Amino acid sequence: MARLFARLKLRLLLNALRSSNAAKISFIISTAFAVALAVLTFLALASFSGKSTSADLTAVIFTVFAFGWLIAPIMVFGVDGTLDPATLAMYPLRTRKLIAGLLAASATGAWPLANVAGLLGVTIGLAHGPLGEVVAVAAVALQVLFCISLSRFVTTSMAGLLRSRRGRDLAAFLIVPLVALYEFFTQVVPKAAAAGKITTASFAGLDAWMRWLPPGLAAHAIQDASDGRLGLAFLRLALLAAVIVVLGWLWVRSLSRALVTADTTTQGARVRSANLPFARFGLRGAVAARFWLYQRREPASLVCWALVAVITAAASASSVLGKQHHPGVIFLSAILGAAFAGVFHANSVGLTGPPFVLEGTALARTRDLRAYFSGQNVVLSVIGAPLIIAVCFGLAATARRPGLGLEAAPVVLAGLGAALGLSNVFTVALPYPMVRRISNPMLTSAPGYSAHRLGMTFGTLAGTAVAAAPALVAALLTAADPLAIRVGVLLPCSAVYGCALALAGARIAANAATAKMPELCQVAIRSAMS
Amino acid sequence: MNEETALSVPSTVGLPRYSPGPQVPGPGTLAVAVRGLRKSFGGKEAVAGIDLDVAAGSLAGLVGPNGAGKTTSLSMMTGLLRPDGGDVRVNGLDVWQDPPAAKAIIGVVPAEVRLFERLSGEELLEYAGRLRGMPASEARSRAAQLLDVLDLAGDASRLVADYSTGMRKKAALGCALIHNPSVLFLDEPLEGVDPVSADVIRHLLKRFTESGSTVLFSSHVMELVEQVCDHVSVIDKGKIVISGTTDQVRGGKTLQRAFIDLVGPRTRDEEGLSWLGSSPA
Repeated sequence: MARLFARLKLRLLLNALRSSNAAKISFIISTAFAVALAVLTFLALASFSGKSTSADLTAVIFTVFAFGWLIAPIMVFGVDGTLDPATLAMYPLRTRKLIAGLLAASATGAWPLANVAGLLGVTIGLAHGPLGEVVAVAAVALQVLFCISLSRFVTTSMAGLLRSRRGRDLAAFLIVPLVALYEFFTQVVPKAAAAGKITTASFAGLDAWMRWLPPGLAAHAIQDASDGRLGLAFLRLALLAAVIVVLGWLWVRSLSRALVTADTTTQGARVRSANLPFARFGLRGAVAARFWLYQRREPASLVCWALVAVITAAASASSVLGKQHHPGVIFLSAILGAAFAGVFHANSVGLTGPPFVLEGTALARTRDLRAYFSGQNVVLSVIGAPLIIAVCFGLAATARRPGLGLEAAPVVLAGLGAALGLSNVFTVALPYPMVRRISNPMLTSAPGYSAHRLGMTFGTLAGTAVAAAPALVAALLTAADPLAIRVGVLLPCSAVYGCALALAGARIAANAATAKMPELCQVAIRSAMS
Repeated sequence: MNEETALSVPSTVGLPRYSPGPQVPGPGTLAVAVRGLRKSFGGKEAVAGIDLDVAAGSLAGLVGPNGAGKTTSLSMMTGLLRPDGGDVRVNGLDVWQDPPAAKAIIGVVPAEVRLFERLSGEELLEYAGRLRGMPASEARSRAAQLLDVLDLAGDASRLVADYSTGMRKKAALGCALIHNPSVLFLDEPLEGVDPVSADVIRHLLKRFTESGSTVLFSSHVMELVEQVCDHVSVIDKGKIVISGTTDQVRGGKTLQRAFIDLVGPRTRDEEGLSWLGSSPA
């Protein structure tokens, strides 16, 4: 069964290569990233050779990989773009066979292979002696299987929630604490360590129990085998294998349960207001009204704004709070927060999905489309600007320099205008269908379009940074002038500059969309929202 | 609300963006004229140069087996899918030369109805009206009347996410009708709809065409087409194989029989399936 499933996965991957050019490009870029990850991880692990803490450092890397496997499918790329386990549920497969088959399928492909190849750096950095090398290879294989089964179990467990609309809403909100945790470990912890706030002494005693956690089991089994403690090494590997089996069993159970659990939504929600708001503002008002209601009612929108706040805070929290104290990085937070507001709302056609056809059949003139994009931008600015400024102000107040929060406000306005303008342009220039998988509460790019998503993300981030640079430079150049004068001049100037950028983006997008409406409608139709 | 009143209210008054001239052409003129419409996907010809005429005021059906090209054809006729070649005119307006003008006078209900789930029924219809450039008050008034006629008034303040399939179809029909289009394109309008809702939709379509407007819809359900359509076109393998009045197409038989005779039986020699049904269980 495992072989059959692995072959099926390979066949699906090869078929993707034979399909559209977008799928080919996406496959190539994804593979290139996987290769880069493999090489960098291999070098990092190999560099631990000869260090007394090599086992602990390896355990940390293994843990980071496990955490990455946990977060990435939920946040970024979806669980598996090729083989959805739900499609296998109708076949009479025994649980054991299903676990073996799905694990084998999940372990097939560029990313799992890159994980194995990268983690094999332990054969140089940690293992020594023939037995050590053999155990290292086994430990790496088990570590990757652990990552896969953990990732599958956790994401599929959320599937039960996804059976109902309210459940989907709740599941979507679970993303926020996960990301906050992720940001804490990737942003705050490393910087705090660099600032000397976290030292080896901080972990005294931690390594004693960490080595019995699954990633620690794998890492320390290698060291035990290398040092001749074979019994202990095999015990650790056996424990790890048992954890994988349990996770696999839980995974299949949660999948089976999710597929046969009835929708728990029995009572439909009623809305309080009878009419759409912004009636006086014509088409722009109608679009703004729809987007405004969606920002309030659609959990994914609320999650996006929560993520913008978390990213804004995390980007400079450690520097603001850290020993070396660089409150100036609040400007970086301002730009990053604004850029992510754009990133999360780029590809609005794909995010809207098939309902966009309703808009697409009504909007045909360039001026209608201009109203459509600017209506969106108005709503997103009204929410985004106060939110990001508030977070910057909070960071500045925590650093005991509240004035810095005010100084960051012009950068936020310029950045947000740029980000929203870019999101409009990317929506039309690089649209791609989105899908919602049963095991993922958030929308993700349809198979074959992760390159589009990456391009849109990096394009918006880079473009926002460049476009917000004048506001940043102006803030830095006038640092010696009185705050009241600086803010009084910079704030309106940046607001006008930001508005101009957003309007320019809406105008460019509208001009391009006029000729591209059928293609945009097709992208929307191909999006599967539930 | 009285259905008669509700249906008579939607008009073209105060709708500046979608009234490029006479909304409804006179009797005998063509509401939809398609010439040589073609579309291929990766070398496979989905629509192989179809010609189709739909007279103004008629309720026309486009029938065909699965994969015959119905949805692709309707998508190209409504400006949702760019054709490889051919010409589509709606009330004399070239859909692909002047999409804004054409879109202003048509209404579309796609096969797979996906609506704005986080809007309530009344918000959805109002939004559809305001997208068409209607004043908010007019959009609200028409939305309320359509919801009433479509038997959705009791659920008007519920989120569309909580609507059943039939309710979604009716809401989608409301969105397509709110600007009083002169030609309505429906792709499988009664797929998955319960008999009561189907009857409401059928009745509404009949009334709509009696006022001189035109409906073109695709369907698999021959009984429905036979019952409500005055014109039928049969499409198979991307080509129109016959087109005419319902009586002409069925030629004295039932439409189901005539359809099967036209597109040919899809059954194969079953000798190779000797194992089928031999299960000991």
